[in-house]
Amino acid sequence: MSSSGERKVSASLGRSVRGTTPRLADLASTPEAPRTPTLGRSVSSLFGSPGGSFRTEDEYVVIELGSRYVRGGFPGESTPRCTLSYDPDNQRRVGDYRQWDPEYGQKRRKPKRGQDWGQEFELYRMDLSQVDLGVVEDKFERIMREVYNTYFVLDTKPRRILLALPPKMPHALMSTLLDVLFGGFLAPSITLMSSPVLSTVAAGLRSALVVDIGWAETLVTAVCEYREVHEQRTVRAGKLLSEEMAKVLNAALDEHAGYQEFDDISFKEAEEVLSRVGWCKSKPRSNRRTLYFPARTSPILEEFEDAVETPEPTVTIPLSKVSPPSEIAIPFATLAKPADNALFATETALNEFDDHELPLHHLIYRALLSLPMDVRRLCMSRIIITGGVAALPGLKSRILAELEALVHTKGWDPVRNYGTASARHDHILRQQKEAVELRRQEGDDKISESLDPDNPLPAGLRGHEEDTIDAKLAHVALRNGPPPASVVGGIVRGVETLGAWAGASLVAQQRIRGIVEIDRERYLQHGLQGASKEKEVSVVPQRQSMGPGVARGAGERASWTLGVWA
Amino acid sequence: MAQPFPYTYYACDCYDGNNTSSTKRASQLLQEAEEEERTFDPRSPRANYSLYPLEHLLYCEDCQQVRCPRCIIEETLNWYCPSCLFEVPSSVVKSDGNRCTRSCFSCPLCTSNLQTYSLDQTGESAPPFILECQYCRWSSLEIGIEFEKGQGIAAQLARLGNGGKHIPTNKERDKERERRREVEMRKSRDLLSPSTESTNTDTERDDRPPSHDDLFSNLTAFYKSQVDTQTPSNPFSSHDINFSSPSAYSRIMNLYSTTGSKKNKRSKPSAMREAASSLEGLTIHDPISDAAAIERIKREGWGVTLSPAQKHAQINPNVRFTDEIRPLATLLCTKRSKRCRSCRQILTKPESKITSTRYKIKLLALNHIPRLSIRALNASPPTPVASRTAETFDYNALKPGIPAHFLLHLSNPLFDSIKVTLATPSTTPGKVHSRVTILCPQFDVGANTDIWDDALSSSLSPIKRGSVSEGPAQIEAGKIWDRGRNWTSVAVEIVPGFTNSQGSGSEEQELEEDEDVLEIPIFVRIEYETDAGADDRGLGDSRGSKGEKERREEAFWTVVGVGRIKGA
Repeated sequence: MSSSGERKVSASLGRSVRGTTPRLADLASTPEAPRTPTLGRSVSSLFGSPGGSFRTEDEYVVIELGSRYVRGGFPGESTPRCTLSYDPDNQRRVGDYRQWDPEYGQKRRKPKRGQDWGQEFELYRMDLSQVDLGVVEDKFERIMREVYNTYFVLDTKPRRILLALPPKMPHALMSTLLDVLFGGFLAPSITLMSSPVLSTVAAGLRSALVVDIGWAETLVTAVCEYREVHEQRTVRAGKLLSEEMAKVLNAALDEHAGYQEFDDISFKEAEEVLSRVGWCKSKPRSNRRTLYFPARTSPILEEFEDAVETPEPTVTIPLSKVSPPSEIAIPFATLAKPADNALFATETALNEFDDHELPLHHLIYRALLSLPMDVRRLCMSRIIITGGVAALPGLKSRILAELEALVHTKGWDPVRNYGTASARHDHILRQQKEAVELRRQEGDDKISESLDPDNPLPAGLRGHEEDTIDAKLAHVALRNGPPPASVVGGIVRGVETLGAWAGASLVAQQRIRGIVEIDRERYLQHGLQGASKEKEVSVVPQRQSMGPGVARGAGERASWTLGVWA
Repeated sequence: MAQPFPYTYYACDCYDGNNTSSTKRASQLLQEAEEEERTFDPRSPRANYSLYPLEHLLYCEDCQQVRCPRCIIEETLNWYCPSCLFEVPSSVVKSDGNRCTRSCFSCPLCTSNLQTYSLDQTGESAPPFILECQYCRWSSLEIGIEFEKGQGIAAQLARLGNGGKHIPTNKERDKERERRREVEMRKSRDLLSPSTESTNTDTERDDRPPSHDDLFSNLTAFYKSQVDTQTPSNPFSSHDINFSSPSAYSRIMNLYSTTGSKKNKRSKPSAMREAASSLEGLTIHDPISDAAAIERIKREGWGVTLSPAQKHAQINPNVRFTDEIRPLATLLCTKRSKRCRSCRQILTKPESKITSTRYKIKLLALNHIPRLSIRALNASPPTPVASRTAETFDYNALKPGIPAHFLLHLSNPLFDSIKVTLATPSTTPGKVHSRVTILCPQFDVGANTDIWDDALSSSLSPIKRGSVSEGPAQIEAGKIWDRGRNWTSVAVEIVPGFTNSQGSGSEEQELEEDEDVLEIPIFVRIEYETDAGADDRGLGDSRGSKGEKERREEAFWTVVGVGRIKGA
């Protein structure tokens, strides 16, 4: 064979290559050898029998990445195999076993100089000016190694990765994370999906308003037909909440005997208290005065809730790291205050907030307000509250109640203040509402009125005429179309989700391919720069591409994009 | 750090080598260039990830480099349960997950092992059985679970919910879902055509909210049905041809069917819809469960809640109270072989037998890299045990400002004698500046010959151990302190810095954890001549240069932890 000499040069280093018989692939590279014209293998697999190459790399692992936790598991499972946090105890040198020292558990570690509350417990933050990406890489590499070696325990076959990421991430950070996954864990390809969309999937919906109360910020994303259409953020989230909880605990310690100065509560203790006994009042109280209630529906519930219980219930919290170890009793109502202060900021007037620190309910209201009307109709009745803080008991009910109250008072009027005309506007609003009330309440009487032939009711006040054709059409739609329960809109309603990880697991199980799919080879060549600038790449193969274009193959795309991350 | 003083860490330099260029910008590249000349800083946040004790490092003979856990690839050889030492075949791992499927469980509260006990009073092992923790006395009775058999606990537990309820299997779930859908269909038909009698006999509906698993399986079924109704309309959607499903067959048959006009007639596919009921996985937020949780915390307090660590260890981490936890099946362990990341050579390979701790292949850095250690040079010669307690040097209380002498001890595992050059910054990096002087930075270390050579040769030509035996130590710059068969030690003078530098506010100056630890970065460079082709097979042979000597050199950073400086 003419090419054999040439091949030997390249193969001389490895002894094992020499003995192997030439393969078909080798033949193709030698122009002299007789051969059939090259056909993309995928073409034959498209029309012919399924090729062996078709299903080889189809297995996925599903990883959800947040700034505090990483979750990893396999598609089709309802819960992740592991949920790991970035704990400074895991970030020590190898061979440093001090965390197992019984004495060490008693001591309280001071946060490092110049570090924010809980910064050691984060993987990254969005403001990259404060982040050393090298450290991020090291941390992520180590935790992923634990995920793979302890929890995945896979064989050597490389698996694709479905990575659930928050939408919007600095590219430098993204490429750091992708470097680790491609480099350290040999993933053949990584599919990125944004976590709000996955939360929507895990709730069984197509459109939703996803309120992700995360660590550093709360992200409100309007998802319409699986696309992010709008987004708002606030810093009122987990970090602020745990700082507030630490304040409450420090104040309680202050009263407690034996307290020394500068012996503040540590991050871990505050986190534990928050996750164990923290709660949130589920009824809005503070802004009741300003609420407008129609006379007949004025709430009686709240007065009932205000009644003070005697004796005041308290919760005893053991603090083992205080010296001497002691227990403090904190009134149960006090434990709800951090949520009030951090997330709803009930004490502060609305005009004092900056744009980045709006209270949650106002943020959600504004997000809804800025949506087009029909999207708003869908989203307002599909509010998904998720994220780490969402597990706080009472929080979801509270957010929904606050939002309902806001909608009730303000309607969907983007004008916040009418200035001198406000009195008139109020008047009009009140009139409208009362008219609506009146009509609803007295609907029964109208029929008898309209029957009176002498003075017919104005057309606007009359009920609709029943059309038999319309009724029949509605009937057919009901039978063939989607069930009516799935097209609910226009009311404030909360929907539970199983979380972004479960959504990712569902997506991977159904073998749905994402918009953003990054191929290993291409990434290693060009990095993130290799992505095409178009935001949308059609996933559905085009009809026209049945011609020469199909040679690229069904499994491959001509270009890849970063989608929402671009 | 937390290792007892003194200790030595070796830096693997892979951490700055594996950066792909995509993340680097020009400024970073500049920084990299500077880094070449910079000394290693053991206090930089990245140092924690590149420093390893020598025992943790492997050595690739082909690349002639140290390999740390970051620059190796691991391959799982076999799986086993660390508790019952039962080897689990890979197919079972794939189907049943990463936990022991027999009777090994750990306590959900304290993570120690659970044991199976019989509750039978007669003393024989008869049902019912429970799991109990040996350490904290938690038992499965607390979550209302008893077992009928003493074996195969995992299989029994999979069917038992907390409180003795029955957990449906996937098949049962599917069946139940079908049944309920039927009921609902009938109902809606009744709604649509009111003429028929509403024959609602289905009253045995349980009202408790569906569990996480129920919801997930409902959602899965829902999406599956939705995707299935979508796909036939698009026969060319080649991206997910699944030849095992009947829908794919119908699609393929469609391709070959001659009635092409049929395809055109098909109406536009309706969009995938949303889930409409809890049967399809939709859950409307219900404030009642929230209120119940609050009420429970108010009533029962701290004791019934779970700590974050306990929650995350659970299979389903969305639990809150102690009666929701489940015993944890033991995580499987693996035996893994390790390969060099760059050349794929196997570095370690354990024997496949589970109970064996031996290795087939084991290339340790211990056998290729000189071991560096430090100890205090006591003015008095080492004496028998009796007086040792009084004389021992307290590494945890170095006196600031007072020069102290230490011995750097370098032992050579190679079979060739090596030339060593040590380098260290004159003041240690970090907040506390200590001055360090290595009195003899260049020296030779003998080869690691047979141990008996030492015994024989020392009698023939006594090596100068003089300095110790001659009484008062004479430390001279440029001279080694002592030497043996394959080791050499040199003296180091260290002036520990002051932990509280004078002036400025006390709050700013307060030391953090471990800032008072005296750690010295030392750059070690070794040079030696060895038989070329002795350990890289193949390459050298062809040139026929057997017996020819080859110069090799190696260089790496180490960090020596000397002790803790006592606060003034």
